[in-house]
Amino acid sequence: MIYLGFISFVLLLAVIGPLIVPYGYNERIYGPDGEILFSAAPTLAHPLGTTDSGYDVLSRIVYGARPTVVTGMVSGFMIFSIGMTIGVVSGYVGGRVGNILMRFTDLTYSIPLIPFALVVVAIFGSGFYVSIVIIGAVLWRGLARVIRSQVLQIKERPFILAAKTSGASTPYIIFKHVLPNVAPMGILFLALGTGYAIVIQAGLAFLGVTDPFVPSWGIMVRNAYESGMMSSALWWSLPPGFLISITVLSLFMLGRRLESQITQNEESMIAEAG
Amino acid sequence: MSKVRFFLKRITQTVFLLWLVLTFLFFLFRLMPGDISDILLYQGADPDTVAEFEESWGLNDPLYVQYFQYIYNFILLEPGYSVQTNEPVWDFVKMNIFNTFILAAPAITLAYILGAVIGTVTGTKRGGKLEKFVPVPLLTIGAIPEFFLAILMIIVFAGFLGWFPTSSMIDPAVANQYSDDPWWRIYFTQSFAMHFVLPFTTVVLRYLFLPSLIMRTSVVEVLGQDFIFYKRVTGLPKSARLKSIAKHSSLPVITLYPISMARAIGGLVLIETVFNWPGMGYALVQAVLARDFATVQFVFFVIAAFVIVANFVIDIFYSVIDPRVSLDD
Repeated sequence: MIYLGFISFVLLLAVIGPLIVPYGYNERIYGPDGEILFSAAPTLAHPLGTTDSGYDVLSRIVYGARPTVVTGMVSGFMIFSIGMTIGVVSGYVGGRVGNILMRFTDLTYSIPLIPFALVVVAIFGSGFYVSIVIIGAVLWRGLARVIRSQVLQIKERPFILAAKTSGASTPYIIFKHVLPNVAPMGILFLALGTGYAIVIQAGLAFLGVTDPFVPSWGIMVRNAYESGMMSSALWWSLPPGFLISITVLSLFMLGRRLESQITQNEESMIAEAG
Repeated sequence: MSKVRFFLKRITQTVFLLWLVLTFLFFLFRLMPGDISDILLYQGADPDTVAEFEESWGLNDPLYVQYFQYIYNFILLEPGYSVQTNEPVWDFVKMNIFNTFILAAPAITLAYILGAVIGTVTGTKRGGKLEKFVPVPLLTIGAIPEFFLAILMIIVFAGFLGWFPTSSMIDPAVANQYSDDPWWRIYFTQSFAMHFVLPFTTVVLRYLFLPSLIMRTSVVEVLGQDFIFYKRVTGLPKSARLKSIAKHSSLPVITLYPISMARAIGGLVLIETVFNWPGMGYALVQAVLARDFATVQFVFFVIAAFVIVANFVIDIFYSVIDPRVSLDD
């Protein structure tokens, strides 16, 4: 419940956050004497202090919720839709098409994700959305495999045979009988995959190959690291990293709850989803 | 299908995949705008070098000749010159490959051994407090981005406690001192050991959670099988039973080990960057930021090759130790 609450909180921040923050994410904060407050320790007016460029940390954190949510949603959607489609088609249709799809899935397993993202960025230039799309375009592989093996089992069950003999078309069977049975697994991977995607996107942001002007939490950690004030300006270096961690942990724990409901053994899927 | 045919088929597939990666890189880098010799050679090279380079790479030849030349150069480990150092890429990347290994191999191995122990202990305590609460800290570590875990280590152990140095692999002064000795001498210095502790611990922590969770799931599965029940009935002491349980449940963890190792070599990018550890990942990031494409191309190929070869090793290993695996697929 705490975890669901935290995810709702991040979602809420992403929607209304920019409307309620007192300072812009690149608005310099001035002290009483008109000087810029560089790396100022927390005060009542600035509960998390300021950065080395004189920005209000709390405001930047609130702004950072939106890129995180966008990352999770876009790559989560890609993982879910690509993984489900390939898994169901290769499992149910089978034959040559299924084989080719599975070979393609195997192929994606030989892609080292972060190095691959680095290469693509090196060639096509860095960008916030580029980094998300690369993640979504690779991470569906675990879901496709798991769904395929589930569909292969469901296919042999009597109710599918019954539907077939009563003349149901293949698309009808897939939508009416197969999808509802594998949907819980898809939703589990949606939660886990979203978590992994957020971590990886933050990693790419930290490496400096995403758009540095999107004020995401990963970029904030990078700025703090680059400034060399990690240990002295804790109010700045710690909160964004902890927020990423708690968001991802919430998604993982949510997935764990789901998994214990779908299957008897928990936590085996967390290895597949990465 | 016989074993020999199975091996031959897997070898063919592996070589095919390696070729696919090379081909992908070849065309990817030719899709880019700009002249390929500007890209693969450092800027402002004198005309002789350019001519020699174009000759050796066959850049005046038709594309298919270039392509074969490119494959040939890669096999000879001559993938061009680095823009950053004006050296042949292989000359400076080879040390980075070694540095990644010396960090990843012991750390991942330790993580797997510890993970197997944690998994066995928590798995056999099904329904107990231990089983319920141990996965939570494990998942928590798994949820912390690796670069942030590394930063936390630096803040605590280097910043506040001041026990260890924050970055690079060795003190430059110490490295100079041994510059005339054989290349491996610096790895036996105290300075190296001190620099090694933090990145090593970070990698161990980071890669601990997967083997633990998988071992736990596997142990729970094995526990449900009949032979464990009969072992219990025959009155074997608990320690002997645990040994048998661990033996039977370790297969999934062993399977994951080479894949994790290979993935770690790619995934270590972040940890290497935070600690400025001069490994492959660090080289890749520096090369991307410096637009040093010859290096990017080569390092990516090496990392991808590790993943592909690890998958191959696993398939072979699996077919040898587990007779249930079908050789037909």
